[in-house]
Amino acid sequence: MSRLRQDFTTLTWVTIPVAIAINIAVGQLIYTLKIPLYLDSIGTILVGVLAGPWAGALTGLLSNLIWGMTGLNVAYAPFAAVGAVIGLLAGLFSEAGWVRAWWKSIVAGLITGLIAAVISAPISAYVFGGVTGAGTDVVTAFFRSIGFGILPSSFAQGVSSDPLDKAISFLVVWLIVQALPMRFLARFPRAESVQK
Amino acid sequence: MSEALSLFVPRSSGVHRLHPLTKLTITGFLLMAGLVLPGAWTTYALFGLVLLPLALWGQVWRELLRLSWRVALPFAVSVFLIQGFLWPKGTPLVYIGPLSLKSEGLMFAFTSTGRILIVVSSFIWFALTTRPDTLMTSLAQRGLPASLAYTIVATIQIVPRFQARAATIIDAQRSRGLETEGSMLRRAHAVVPLVVPLILSSLVDVEERALAIEARAFNRPGPKTSLAEIAEARWEPALRIAVLLATVIALAFRLWVEFRM
Repeated sequence: MSRLRQDFTTLTWVTIPVAIAINIAVGQLIYTLKIPLYLDSIGTILVGVLAGPWAGALTGLLSNLIWGMTGLNVAYAPFAAVGAVIGLLAGLFSEAGWVRAWWKSIVAGLITGLIAAVISAPISAYVFGGVTGAGTDVVTAFFRSIGFGILPSSFAQGVSSDPLDKAISFLVVWLIVQALPMRFLARFPRAESVQK
Repeated sequence: MSEALSLFVPRSSGVHRLHPLTKLTITGFLLMAGLVLPGAWTTYALFGLVLLPLALWGQVWRELLRLSWRVALPFAVSVFLIQGFLWPKGTPLVYIGPLSLKSEGLMFAFTSTGRILIVVSSFIWFALTTRPDTLMTSLAQRGLPASLAYTIVATIQIVPRFQARAATIIDAQRSRGLETEGSMLRRAHAVVPLVVPLILSSLVDVEERALAIEARAFNRPGPKTSLAEIAEARWEPALRIAVLLATVIALAFRLWVEFRM
């Protein structure tokens, strides 16, 4: 409980809106570049790494809810729990020291992506009939055509995109942490888990 | 990229004058009822008989229909194509080349489209008629921690600035010769030179902002006064309780149906 209070410093509270804005702005940037990735949880992962799993979870949750509430990307809101889990996992991996090395960050991203796919599949299957309305639906179509159920097909769609997406996101966060000045980094509650 | 973050459309309608919590409760009911009530037609009935009248009352039905259509259409097309044609071992209705439209798949796609429609349009109705800052003020007055309310309001203010900054960075890197068009590999190469400066530049002023709000008693415990007063009609608390009750009844009905089976 006291650790929780230590995590939510004023700096954390101020970083969360910036992180959500990063999620949205980078997500839109990638969309404009027409790259088949999302990269819309870099801010969430960054907060998880710098301010602990609970701050990360809150960032992910709010991110999706704000996407929905403001009408920016309404279809994201039902996936708020997935955003929360991504932030939580980023915090836990960072606590375990995985964001100190670039290759460990990639592994952490792959695992996070896999878990994200597991949680999104039932939401996608129930609320959206198992489709995303985007290019990755080709994967869903393929698995449906060879006789897979709606849930497994939706999961396969997630596995085809989420692990890679989150691995790149974790790598970008690792890059950011390397580029931030030590003096600035040290002000965050979980700085010790990324410093060498 | 200059799209504003809030969908809010200012009108002087009865819906706009409702307390944000009342609208939140109604949205919650529509989402819950749309997702848990059985029957393929239920979501369409909710849309036609509850949501559409609410949008008419709020004078936002045009925007609602336009936006819902734009968001829900890709999902609907996808779900009809994939589940309609690729339903394994279904009853074929129409043959198109080697593929056939299955009745089970169509039924599933119809149900799913209804759910997508109700989820998307409920959120849009709420966003069209509620200012995000009024919502947060009203939630803070009901005991939501002020720091959490600050976070959400700040996000809504920051995002348009970030979108502008992203556009500036794209322009700057392009003028230095960075290729943002062309083959996939070339576009992928542009990700790091665009994303990393955007994130680093946005983190720079975080520290300053933390000092600024700390100097304005951000950390002080206890109630805080708000400049904005949010009015509500006398019958609104009763309406909220009724809507909440309806939400619980919808959930209970679904559970009853499940357990009876």
